[in-house]
Parts: sequence; C-alpha cells; structure tokens
Amino acid sequence: MATIEVQRQLLPILDNPNQGARFYNPDLPSSEPFVPGHRTCAGCGPSIQYRMTSKAAGDNTILVGPTGCMYVANSSYLCTPYNVPWAHTQIGSAGSFTAGVAAAYEAMIRKGKWKGDFPNIICEAGDGSASDIGLASISGALYRNHDCLIICYDNEQYANTGIQASSRTPYGGMTTFSPPGPMVPEAKKLFPKDLARMMAAGHPHCYVATASVGYPIDLMNKVRKGLNHKGAAYLMVYTPCQKGFVYETPRSIDLGRLVVECGLYPIWEWSPEKRAFDYSFRPASMRPVSEYLKLQGRFGHLHAEHIATLQKFANEQWRMMGVALPEPLIQAADAKNLVNMASAVEAAAVAETV
Amino acid sequence: MPTATAGKKKTVRINGCVAAAQAAKYADVDVIAAYPIRPYTATMMALAQMVANGELDAEYIVADSEHSQLSISHGASSSGARVFTGSSGVGVQFAYELYSPISGSRMPVQMMIADRTLDPPGDFGSEHTDALSTRDMGWLMGWSCDAQEAFDNHLMAYRIGEDPRVLLPQMVCQDGFFVSHITSDVELPDAGQVKEFLPPYKHPYPLDPRHPVSHGPQIMPEQGPPLQLERARAMEDSMAVIEEVHEEFAKIFGRRYDPWIEEFMTDGADVVFFMQGGHAVTARFAIQHMRDQGLKVGLVRLRTIRPYPTDRVKEVLSKFKVVGVIETNMGLGSVSSGGVLYAEACAALYESDRRPLVLSFMAGMGGEAIVRKEFYWMTEKMMEAQKRGKIEKRTHWVGFEE
Repeated sequence: MATIEVQRQLLPILDNPNQGARFYNPDLPSSEPFVPGHRTCAGCGPSIQYRMTSKAAGDNTILVGPTGCMYVANSSYLCTPYNVPWAHTQIGSAGSFTAGVAAAYEAMIRKGKWKGDFPNIICEAGDGSASDIGLASISGALYRNHDCLIICYDNEQYANTGIQASSRTPYGGMTTFSPPGPMVPEAKKLFPKDLARMMAAGHPHCYVATASVGYPIDLMNKVRKGLNHKGAAYLMVYTPCQKGFVYETPRSIDLGRLVVECGLYPIWEWSPEKRAFDYSFRPASMRPVSEYLKLQGRFGHLHAEHIATLQKFANEQWRMMGVALPEPLIQAADAKNLVNMASAVEAAAVAETV
Repeated sequence: MPTATAGKKKTVRINGCVAAAQAAKYADVDVIAAYPIRPYTATMMALAQMVANGELDAEYIVADSEHSQLSISHGASSSGARVFTGSSGVGVQFAYELYSPISGSRMPVQMMIADRTLDPPGDFGSEHTDALSTRDMGWLMGWSCDAQEAFDNHLMAYRIGEDPRVLLPQMVCQDGFFVSHITSDVELPDAGQVKEFLPPYKHPYPLDPRHPVSHGPQIMPEQGPPLQLERARAMEDSMAVIEEVHEEFAKIFGRRYDPWIEEFMTDGADVVFFMQGGHAVTARFAIQHMRDQGLKVGLVRLRTIRPYPTDRVKEVLSKFKVVGVIETNMGLGSVSSGGVLYAEACAALYESDRRPLVLSFMAGMGGEAIVRKEFYWMTEKMMEAQKRGKIEKRTHWVGFEE
C-alpha cells in the first residue's frame, strides 16, 4: 500500500490595522459553521467566541465539544447549531478525543481511506475542562503534537453547572462554591492558575496564545495561526459570562476590552519558532482594575484592600509584559488610596442582592 | 511500505498478548492507543515494534492515561478509523467513564483485556473482576481460553461490532498470564482469508466535513429512553450476527467455535463446572482424569457473556443435577456473596422446569492457578450436594475449607 502525503490547509491572516476598531471587515468569510438556534444566554461570551473562531476556521473543520456550556447550551438533540461535524466528549477528554480525531485523519489520509485536505480539528473546552479535569489530556495532546487547535473558552468558572469556582476563577470572584461571608470577605482566596503560560512553558514546540472576545480580528488571526501551525496549538480566550459575572448583557465585548485594559488578562503569543513570548499587543488605554470590577456583581462584595490586592496582581502582569506603570496604577495598589469604595456593610448588602 | 496483511498462512508459537497484537495487524487497524499496565502491555509492545518495522501502518499513540486511551479511541472511531486499545486491572477501571459514551454513540472500538486483580494491594495475578465490572455498559464481551482463540476472537469481534446491524464496541478478554503470557501454537491466516472475512470499517455517520453530523447532543429526559432502547436492541440484534459471523469464520478459516458455550464431556454428566476463560484448559485435564475413574463430571464454558445467551445457558445447564460456578471474580456482598457469575447462571435457570442445584466456587482468586486437585475437591462438593439433593453451603472459598 502506497503512503499518500497529507495535504494541509493554509488560511490567510486578516489585516488588523487597529486592535480596538469595530468595523465591518470585508475579508471575513461568509461561511457560518456556528449558526443561531442554540440556547445560550443573552450576551454569552463563549458563544460569541464560538462564532468568531469557527468563522475563522471555515467549513473544512471538525469541532470537538467536551462537556460545558458550549455542549449543553449549544446542542439540543434533534437541533444543532453546528454546520460542520461536531462531537461531544467527556469533560476530561478534551485533549484525548481531539487527538483521536487528528490521528484518525492522519492515518486515513495516509492510507488512502479518506481523500481531501487535512481538516481543521478544533476542540472547544471550557476552563473547568482545560484547567482542571481535562488538563492532563490536553497536555498529552500538545506534547504529542497532534495537528489540532485546542481552545479554552475561559469564562473563569464552571458556568454550566450553576457557577462554581474553577482554578481559573480570579481572586475575589464570587461563585456558588466561593461565596463571600464574614469568615471569607473576599470570596475566592486563591489566584487563578496561569494556564496558558503553563501550556507554553511545558510544550514549547506548540503555538500558544491568549486572546479576548473584545478584539475579534486578533482572536480570529490567532485561530488561523494556530491552525496553520503544523502540530498542536493552544489558545486561551477571555469570554465573559453574563450569568456568572452578573453584568448588563450588552457589555460582553466592553468587558472583553476592559479586562485587557486593566491588565487582568495579558494578551500575548508564544512563538514555537523563536521560542519566545511576544508581548507587543497593547490595548488603547490602561485603566485601574476597579473600572473592570465595578461592572460585575461577582465583585460587589470586595473591600478596598481586596481591590488593592487585585491591582497589585494586575501591576505584576503589566511588569511581566514589560510595560512601564503610570503613577496612578501604582497608587491604586495601596488600599489607603482607594476612595469611594464600598464599606463592609454596603458590600455585604450588594452581595445579598446579587 | 509493506502491507499490514502480507504473508501466507503459517503456524507460529506466541502468547495471548502477541496473538492479540497479530490480530490487530491482520485487521489493518488505523489508530492504536497504548498505555502501560501489566499484563496486557506485551500486546502494545508487540504492536509498537510492528509499526516501527513498517509491518503495520497505524498511528501509534502513547496516551497519558487509560481514560485518554479510551477517549482517543472514541475520537478516532468517530472519525471513521479502525481502532485498537486495551488494558488490565485498575487500568480498565480508570477508563470507566468512557464505556457508556462509546457504546452509546455506537462506536465499534475494540479493547483487548488481559485480566488483572484489582487493588488493593497491587497484585499482578489474573481475576475477571476488571472487565466484568463493566459488563452492563453496552460492550460485547467474552473470554478466550488460549492464544489461538484470542486471535480468532479479535478478528471476529471486529466483524461483529462493525456490522451496521450492531455497531457496538467489543471487549475481547483473556486471562492475564494463563493466556496472555503462555505461548502455544497459533495459526496465522493467509492475507486473502482475512480480506475475505473482514471488510474495511465503514461507520454510517463519521465526523466528516463533507457530511456534517452532530454526535451526542444534549437530550431531554423523555429523549433518553428511546436511545437506551435502541442500544439494548442493538445488543439483542447482535446475537444473530454473532452466530452468522462464527459460521462464516468456520467456513473461511476452518476453525469452528460455538459462539456461546463450549461443552466438554457433558454427555451423561450429573455435575458440571460453569466457567469462563483460561482455567478451562486445566479443567479439561482434570475432567478427563475424573471421567477415567468413572465420575460423571463435565465442563460448560461460557464464551460470550455479553450479550448473555440466557436461553442457551438455561437449556444447557438444565440437563445436569448440580452446577458449580467457578467465579474467578469478586462480587462482594452479591447474591451468593461470592462472585457475579453465580447470579447470571441462576437467573438463566429460573424459568427452567428442571433446575439444577447451583454452587459458587471462589477459585482462581488473586491470580492463583486452579490446580487439578482443586477441581477434584470441587467435584466432591458438587457430588455431595447431588447426594443430599440440596445446597447446604452456597459459596465455597476454595483452599480455605476442608
């Protein structure tokens, strides 16, 4: 039996003149692999991300959906929003099921059992799957370098099960597994696992990047770079959850920018060729974390000292990216300088209402 | 690259593990998911070498766990590839979550199991509890008793599981060490015979970008039962296919197996052993010896436990006065407070109008060999029960009693 060479797709990178601009881009493909008709909440960040990423990938694509919102809320039996093949897999099987699909196509094309260009194989894992239960399976897929893209749609919690803390939930984030109370005024005490950096450090031969729904062209280009990369790629995308973050539904994209402008979600790329991080992404402006926090009910219980702690965390992220900190942000990391913040009593009342 | 199925018919001396690997090679599998655990590991070692030598063109994946092995297999099978995986003991348990999703999505993944005792404590010995604990998850399941039968069962299982009337995964089991690591003569077929017997894998609804399908969307409670019923029916429908495939196998390869039950020296027998797997080989010797001394003892070996041949078991076991179930598995606090096979035998006999007495023997536990004198001892117990006409003690831990 002759071995057939596997042909791979090359997707064009979109022109991205202005990170923050909101305008119609005529270069976007008209195909819609992810169509309306699903049951996600209004303003759902993960589903906005889903539409962008699948659009960037195009029609020769296979999607893998480990258990999570993008499984449960998207797919209802006899009604499905996927115009390309999609399969559910177990929440801990994100990397492994995807690896199986990729391996099958490598073998089937090579052995002449399937004819065509190697499909884009994309796994859409929530942060619970990616950072907790499916971490080993994703690491295995990246390590073995299957030609696939694993996306973590990071809504910083287990949202589908009713808002529980994951290892991506930020410090101070209220969830049903990390509620605030007199003994735990800040709610979540732990800082999030630096998952994307872990993936880059541990699998330096892979393309790894972070992105946010606030910057659609940047996100779509990273999807295409990840797919064009021959081998495994990992993309971590900030996708706000209206139900868990408790904000006004039209503000999902705003939050997607604010989280970057406040330094809480550094946007970067790891280049497997250069073996280096690229920190050149800069948001239009830099803001104190309070501007991001105050829009969300999940942070309504925070005291000045907790906000200062989060500012300190954000400042460390800026420094890591090589950004010089303006004086107001340094000042904001000291609780004494935070005025007009909620008192403990007021904060408790806010927590009560959300 | 040489083809996977090159070569003429020949007899080789190999163990059960290598026989399973040979079967996977003849089946020209596309994706192999490996993870080490004794004793099945030798199968994956053999396959790794075949791939390295270019004897088999397959994606050989060293997975990060058994859970991943089964998920990789699920993904690859869903994409249209023929898949081979396997495990032993606690490894079988680590992958437990995947058994129902794989059979529920009707993916004919094949898994080789060389049994191993479950922990605690770490025991390398063979016990059927690992695979038997998954027996109701919708996988076709049966035991081989020697390397040749293992080879044959693997080939037949692909043909049965991939049949569009069935589409179910298969666990092809063999006793760890007693079968997996004991060498014997195995006839490897001619490539042409396998080609005639096993058509290429073709799932009707694979994950193919040209024909988009959604696998496993979320269902509402009222949508659950029809899907479960379909899976149950596939299991029932597989029975006719299993018989058909065994018949065709006999025609092409010249080896004929009863798909459900092997009867050995049961003519005129009063008492019989009811068991699965490799210890049956010793049982045959012991029975031969006892027959020479005039004892009316025989052997009924179950070859397929899922789907369970209820009517056949009823019909066969009803012919005897006493049935001694040799468990080689643990069913703590179960019906007999011994193993789980007792309940399967008794349930099949419930509707019989000539019910034999049934005893449960806890033998071959922890991977201990069941030696001939234990077969003699168990036969004595069965004959005592026959004489009394009733059961005084339902379960015997062999080797712990006078």
